[in-house]
Amino acid sequence: MKTDCYIGIDVGSVSTNIAVIDNKGNMLDKIYIRTEGQPIKALCSAMGKIEKNWSKSLYVQGVGTTGSGRQLASVILGADVVKNEITTHAIAAQKLVDGVQTILEIGGQDSKIILMRNGLVYDFAMNTVCAAGTGSFLDRQAARMGFSINDFGNLALKSSSPVRIAGRCAVFAESDMIHKQQAGHSAEDIVAGLCYALVRNYLNNLAKGKEIRETVVFQGGVAANGGIVKAFKKTLGTDIIIPEHYDVMGAYGAAVIACSQRKMKKTSFHGFGAVKKEYTAKGIKCEDCSNMCEVIEIASDGKVIARWGDRCGKWSDMRAV
Amino acid sequence: MNKRVGIPGGLYFYKFYPLWESFFNELGMEAVTSIPSCRKILDDGVNASNDEACLPVKMYHGHVIHLKDRVDMLFIPRLTSISKNEYICPKIGGLPDMIRHAIKNLPPVIDVEINLRDKEKSILEAVYKIARISGISKNKAKSAYSKALSDYRAFREKVKRGVLPTDILEKKIYPLPSKRIDTYKVLLLGHQYNIYDAGMNMNIIKKLKNKGVEVVTIDMSSSGELREYASTLNKKMFWNFGTLAIGMINKCIRENNIDGIVYVMTFGCGIDSFVCSMAERRIRKFSEIPFTVITLDEHTGEAGVDTRIEAFTDMISWRRADENNFSAPG
Repeated sequence: MKTDCYIGIDVGSVSTNIAVIDNKGNMLDKIYIRTEGQPIKALCSAMGKIEKNWSKSLYVQGVGTTGSGRQLASVILGADVVKNEITTHAIAAQKLVDGVQTILEIGGQDSKIILMRNGLVYDFAMNTVCAAGTGSFLDRQAARMGFSINDFGNLALKSSSPVRIAGRCAVFAESDMIHKQQAGHSAEDIVAGLCYALVRNYLNNLAKGKEIRETVVFQGGVAANGGIVKAFKKTLGTDIIIPEHYDVMGAYGAAVIACSQRKMKKTSFHGFGAVKKEYTAKGIKCEDCSNMCEVIEIASDGKVIARWGDRCGKWSDMRAV
Repeated sequence: MNKRVGIPGGLYFYKFYPLWESFFNELGMEAVTSIPSCRKILDDGVNASNDEACLPVKMYHGHVIHLKDRVDMLFIPRLTSISKNEYICPKIGGLPDMIRHAIKNLPPVIDVEINLRDKEKSILEAVYKIARISGISKNKAKSAYSKALSDYRAFREKVKRGVLPTDILEKKIYPLPSKRIDTYKVLLLGHQYNIYDAGMNMNIIKKLKNKGVEVVTIDMSSSGELREYASTLNKKMFWNFGTLAIGMINKCIRENNIDGIVYVMTFGCGIDSFVCSMAERRIRKFSEIPFTVITLDEHTGEAGVDTRIEAFTDMISWRRADENNFSAPG
């Protein structure tokens, strides 16, 4: 017998995540892989893994996409719901953690804080123009110091006296880290110092003027970093809950929305076969007017399936080619 | 042939263009403006201007470059103050100098100072100076200005009835999607040149309208009313925009008929940095109105703005659904 399911896909800057849930919201399967700058490839390989795990025993009832690549994923897979990542993260936390009032989320390029009151999003904030203090910066620092990102957080936990690192700006933080390292501080103290700096920056920047009430949930890829978790606990003076599926909460939320919006209508999911096709994305610089839009064209097996990025709609309206 | 006067389509364009257009046309000249802000205008502006300048000032440089070879003279007034006892941004006061140093081969620039800090009648001194530069009699200039002022007042009246200045200036209308019944009213707060310039803010007004939002701006209230609302501050605001913005916030809190407030600011703006923070504190302290900030810089990727606007309108509809006991969201 086939299992009815809903699939949520979160195509983020650093990771591409998939959550497969049943109609009660139970997690059936999840995938977390690195996007590595190639969202289409990551998406196809993640979907391929799901298909392999379940060898055709899934009956997909609905698909939701989220994350900065949500539009791309929607075109390739045929999504029923395309949602922003704040809403999906909020829905996921609300569903999985009782009484959640504050959601801290740090992803690859974005960090956000979401305040929930009475089960509703009451307020939120996202980082502004700068990505200092997000996952991609931690990745870069781990690589620079020669550690795997998985060991980076544990390294911080070994520190007994974290050094002070300038956290306002990634460029300043990096040069400060190098100065401290040349002065002879140990790697674990520097990494722990970096964790505190990022937490300080997050709280000063995003949480400024916001009341952080318990229950506090920390999700997103960076929640795997024990050093950051410890720094949050210590700085906030509260307990912090890391949900079991912290790394795929956006995808889970997208699946939940797809499930809650199922109507009599059939899903627009193209099927697992869709990810086996060849996809190419190319940028076209439209020079027909002074806007010079960067139009993206997605083709599958040589046939254009979508275009976007134009202001006037001339290219995006051509999708039914 | 009539002389062509170029009025660049940036900064105080969205506030004063109808006034100056009518004034120059009355003087027997032809007022010309640049094309709407776009990538080319921005690229030219960024390349020409000082790196430390803010996005709207860079954009203005681009507009000047677009216009300079198409007109006989450029009108870049030195706006020191546009209201009694208040100033505006010093970059705008120094604009003619910045432009002259950054852009070569300019046509003659009319850079009369407009300083209404002491008395609002000082505007006539500026008008007479323009007349002198253009070889036009004082009397003709005075009557041209009074005609311009009445056209400007007609424009203001339309805006106060809820028409967006951009819709009037571009002579077009964006109707609300008719299928939606549940429209929300959102106050779009920020300097006029940030909130109305679609080429700079990635078409924020259109994006909000597509979400079924009715956009309200400070220009839709009379400045007298907003000043009244701002008068509860302990101390007078230093900036013209600051007074109106805080007045508008107080008005929204009092009247309680706005579903959300979006503050649009540009990176590095000194005035926004504290007006925004003051506005946010007031809103949070005295109301439950959803509030968010969108910071603009030279980005052209629209995903960031889209995500914030979508999440913000989701939040509003989620709250409304809760009030009406619907299941949320979507």
